[in-house]
Amino acid sequence: MLGNEAIARAALEAGVSVATTYPGTPASEIGDVLARVAKDAGIYFEYSTNEMVATEFAIGAATSGVRALVSMKHVGVNVAADALITFAYTGTRGGFVLVTADDPSCHSSQNEQDNRYYALLAGLPLLEPSNPQECYEMTKEAFELSERLELPVIVRTTTRVSHVRGPVTVGEIVKGRKKMEFVKDPSRFVTVPAVARERHLALLEKLKEAEGLAEISKFNKMRRIGKSEKRGIITSSAGANYAMDSVHSLGIEVDVLKLGFSHPLPSKLVGDFLKSHEVVLVVEELEPILENAVRALAQRQSLKTMIIGKSDGALPRAHEFDQNIVEAAIQKAFGIKGEATNVPMIPGGLPGRPPVLCAGCPHGATYFAVNKAVGKKAIFASDIGCYTLGVAPPYRTADLLICMGSSVGTAGGLAMVNDVPVIAFIGDSTFFHAGIPGLINAVHHGHKFLLMILDNRTTAMTGHQPHPGSAVGPSCCDITAVSIEDIVKGCGVKWLRIVDPYDVKTTTETVKEGVAQEGVSVIIARRECILLARRDRTGAGARKPHIDQTTCTRCRTCVDKFQCPAISSIDKVQNIDETLCAGCGVCTQVCPSRAIKEGK
Amino acid sequence: MPDIYLVGVGGQGIITASKIIGDAALLAGKNVLLSETHGMAQRGGSVVCTARIGDVHSPLIPVGKVDVILSFELLETVRAACNASKRTVVISSMERIVPLSVSSQKLKYPTLEEVRATAMQSAMDFVAIDAVKLAEEESVKMSTNVVMVGALAGTGITGLQRDHFEKAIKMNIQSKQEENLAAFGKGFGETAKA
Repeated sequence: MLGNEAIARAALEAGVSVATTYPGTPASEIGDVLARVAKDAGIYFEYSTNEMVATEFAIGAATSGVRALVSMKHVGVNVAADALITFAYTGTRGGFVLVTADDPSCHSSQNEQDNRYYALLAGLPLLEPSNPQECYEMTKEAFELSERLELPVIVRTTTRVSHVRGPVTVGEIVKGRKKMEFVKDPSRFVTVPAVARERHLALLEKLKEAEGLAEISKFNKMRRIGKSEKRGIITSSAGANYAMDSVHSLGIEVDVLKLGFSHPLPSKLVGDFLKSHEVVLVVEELEPILENAVRALAQRQSLKTMIIGKSDGALPRAHEFDQNIVEAAIQKAFGIKGEATNVPMIPGGLPGRPPVLCAGCPHGATYFAVNKAVGKKAIFASDIGCYTLGVAPPYRTADLLICMGSSVGTAGGLAMVNDVPVIAFIGDSTFFHAGIPGLINAVHHGHKFLLMILDNRTTAMTGHQPHPGSAVGPSCCDITAVSIEDIVKGCGVKWLRIVDPYDVKTTTETVKEGVAQEGVSVIIARRECILLARRDRTGAGARKPHIDQTTCTRCRTCVDKFQCPAISSIDKVQNIDETLCAGCGVCTQVCPSRAIKEGK
Repeated sequence: MPDIYLVGVGGQGIITASKIIGDAALLAGKNVLLSETHGMAQRGGSVVCTARIGDVHSPLIPVGKVDVILSFELLETVRAACNASKRTVVISSMERIVPLSVSSQKLKYPTLEEVRATAMQSAMDFVAIDAVKLAEEESVKMSTNVVMVGALAGTGITGLQRDHFEKAIKMNIQSKQEENLAAFGKGFGETAKA
């Protein structure tokens, strides 16, 4: 079972009633599993508009007394943080579990922030599973803890926990209550200043109780390997896996304190561990959170234990660990001699294979048209989605990218201080998620840029989840599709056009017209994601073009200015691979000498 | 405790292959950990999965510990070869999926002999499998991944029995099960010692 699947399973066994998410790697499968089974399991599940709304919806349900699960990727918690931090003050009635899936090494993210800080920032209990079995056990336990403490609980995974498959022993699924009665208690749940001041004190009290629970938690256990009295390792999450494998591989004797319930720090347990060891290495990925807490504890208790971690350079603060990194740190910390391992180097000059826009991807057609319309002089504000891949040659249609929705906001600033056209690209799902306030701001202040909403009718990058514009939702929901053009018009945009990116000429002309407008102009480039179109067989179909080699002038436009995985240029001859070709027909419009002929 | 490093291109069925290996190990009563690539790393990009059979904690294979590189694509075999050591058997499909960089940057795609030579600089053995042909012979063109799992099973390195793999294939592939089992058999025959 995948770590994420184990989390979903545990939520069902915990009798969860409500589950919400906004899709994001590496958290997506938690929601995807629940979306599929929601109807049969009798739970309510939704892909919310964004993580903030997902969290707020679940707060409404949980404060009424049912159990709720919210899952998101690490950066999603930034969006949800405003709700989460004050929710720690009011606390909850039904169990409330927030799963954050962090992404050390940025496998599919714009940063590698360490969301354990949110547990510290908000003052919330934190559980850190290290494998699928623990994902299952800790999620179940998180609901119990949450109800016992009446606090939301954070379960934090990483890519190497969420996306690991391993055996999981499961139990029985329990049906949660669907209906509850919200008991009014404004002195707790309405956080006006007078209430908030009191609730902060209540939270600090609960944290003391939480620490007591962490002291005796079954997830905080010491493993004695051999009979070492001197050496200790304190570790958590994926770091614990590398530590255990390293200790085994080195064949050394050491005590390993693995913390699964790591915030609040069980200071008696950790203090006793420090007292009984001379040298302690702290093994944790990303930020030195445990390490700093352990050092502070040692200082408070005037302990002489030598503590080794990131601050002395034994372990790196950036990127994910592997066994080789941890093994080297263990050798250094405990003075163990061993062979140095050479990090493998991929030979240079090898043809690269980065992720690319698919054959038939409407975004590729849009980017080709944009390049044709404005050349290289425009500045492109991009956003989060498949279309970010436009950053690569030949399109180079991403110059600034920060976060979900940033294209619209940054485009205004770029346009204000630059005298060249500014084009913002945002996907349909991302527009709903975080693009709308930026658009209102641009209209209100008269910012001059072209916003292109790349509407492929789905949340493609994370696995084709529906969004508010979709006609079909998860199994449990009757949904209403929200119209992007109605929103755009409702924001006050005066110039709006809708184009089909497969029509290169019209798209090109419309972009030219759009950038010439005063104030903010909007083009919706609408065409279903080719992967969905192929899956549903509603795509452009089997009219696959071919290159007429006698007409072809070898000008390379189809490979140098357009990018399609189906078109190759080997030994100066261009060809279309019929298996890869999606039959979109865009290349027939791209070829200046009309050598790419439409299929029959 | 064999450690298997699976590489290829997004869309080749590598995750399914790793799940078959995982289920075969569980059927044999062994612990197994699989890791896989998602999201941004897909979309036709290079894909790496790992399968570790035995009592390990981390899904990532340490340097020098790879027992098998199971590659679904020739160029990816070269990219993965730096993870090989003297204990490593490289089993590579002869399938070529030419990346866009060959066209756009006018780079050269290596030949089978170049791939073999690169792999053998560090590996113990190199086996090339014509997975596309073998899958087509059983009229399951899309099942090159099953052929490759067969080739892995045939080496015996995993320590798992043939019927564990066959049961695992039935668990993971619903359509054309008989043909897929035959495709598995074809791959198995390529590496199994007579």
